[in-house]
Amino acid sequence: MFFHIVLERNMQLHPRHFGRDLREKLVSKLMKDVEGTCSGRHGFVVAITGIENVGKGLIRDGTGFVTFPVKYQCVVFRPFKGEILEAVVTMVNKMGFFAEAGPVQIFVSNHVSFRLLKFHLLLIPDDMEFQSGDMPNYTTSDGSVKIQKDSEVRLKIIGTRVDATEIFCIGTIKDDFLGVISDPGTTS
Amino acid sequence: MSDKGGKGGKSALKSPGYKGKDDNSAKLKGRKVQFDSEDLYDDKFDTNGNGKSNGKDDTSFAKGGKGDKGGKAGKGSAKKEPPPLLLKVEQELPENAKCLMDCEAAQILQGIQEHMVLLSKDPTIKIPSSFDRALQYANRGNHYTNPHSARQVLESLKDQGLSDGEMCVIANTAIESVGEAFGLMPSLKAKKSKVKEPLRSALTELEKLKNVTESNKKAIVLD
Repeated sequence: MFFHIVLERNMQLHPRHFGRDLREKLVSKLMKDVEGTCSGRHGFVVAITGIENVGKGLIRDGTGFVTFPVKYQCVVFRPFKGEILEAVVTMVNKMGFFAEAGPVQIFVSNHVSFRLLKFHLLLIPDDMEFQSGDMPNYTTSDGSVKIQKDSEVRLKIIGTRVDATEIFCIGTIKDDFLGVISDPGTTS
Repeated sequence: MSDKGGKGGKSALKSPGYKGKDDNSAKLKGRKVQFDSEDLYDDKFDTNGNGKSNGKDDTSFAKGGKGDKGGKAGKGSAKKEPPPLLLKVEQELPENAKCLMDCEAAQILQGIQEHMVLLSKDPTIKIPSSFDRALQYANRGNHYTNPHSARQVLESLKDQGLSDGEMCVIANTAIESVGEAFGLMPSLKAKKSKVKEPLRSALTELEKLKNVTESNKKAIVLD
């Protein structure tokens, strides 16, 4: 889900950048440093939409760099457990399938066992079976529903993991009103 | 003396020989029962799937499809069905965070993209790939001709206790019926009596605001 949020960051600038373009250089550095990064709390910083405030610079002892506290507005994307979203399938294998929702990767497992959850979860409906081949897919026994690469699916996020550069989720399509929305080639 | 620690990590009967020794694994006659020493949180995957987190077991976790219940007899409380996952956006983000519907995000990001075309001429500025993917995703979730009107329709449901997160899910997934909304969001179902009729009216209004192509899409329900 997208959010509009105000964040703060301490930007360090080398004295060689000082001059009448100081603010532009600070903003430019902020964009390079922040856009495209992700954190567990805020998710992906998709784009900076504005600068709220640039505080007074403080010279750091021993280095000469100056630290400016910068408050900025940005659009972030962060998945939540329990969130329903629509994703595009990117890969299908016998373990399950991967889908993408914005910058976030989601895996829907054919069979998942979380040791600490102490139960096994089937996250793809029982009546869907994996079909290998040139275009691997999951298909229902009557062939009416197929999940393959580029299919659009509606899924629910049931788990998230964040590392330095990305957010990875586990999803399910097994609940009511979840599943394939459209097949490849019919998306707008 | 046999240990009777069938459900917890501690034995129910303490013999003098134990002296309060807290044993995490208890051996019963003919059966080995193992308990995880850590709490029910996976350090790799953060989930809400443990059976004790909120104690709610009002509706089953999966209605149409059920989680696997069998075969876990040897693992403590494995027979418990996981509680329904609740969307808790407000609790995890700072107060100044404003939840955006995909259609609103698409508008904002498209505006930024036009500026980025100018910025991209500067070789030192690279447009992150996450931006393109986010924009593509937002455009796909852009179901309404007028995001502002869609927001106004959904804001009217706040008086009935609808949270920002729930509003955004309704907008982003272009929910068509009250039953679908309750099925997808257990937290909404908990407020059913209060929210049912206003939600029905709101969904009717939202239907009028939908893009033409959206009315042709239907979710395929797998039972």
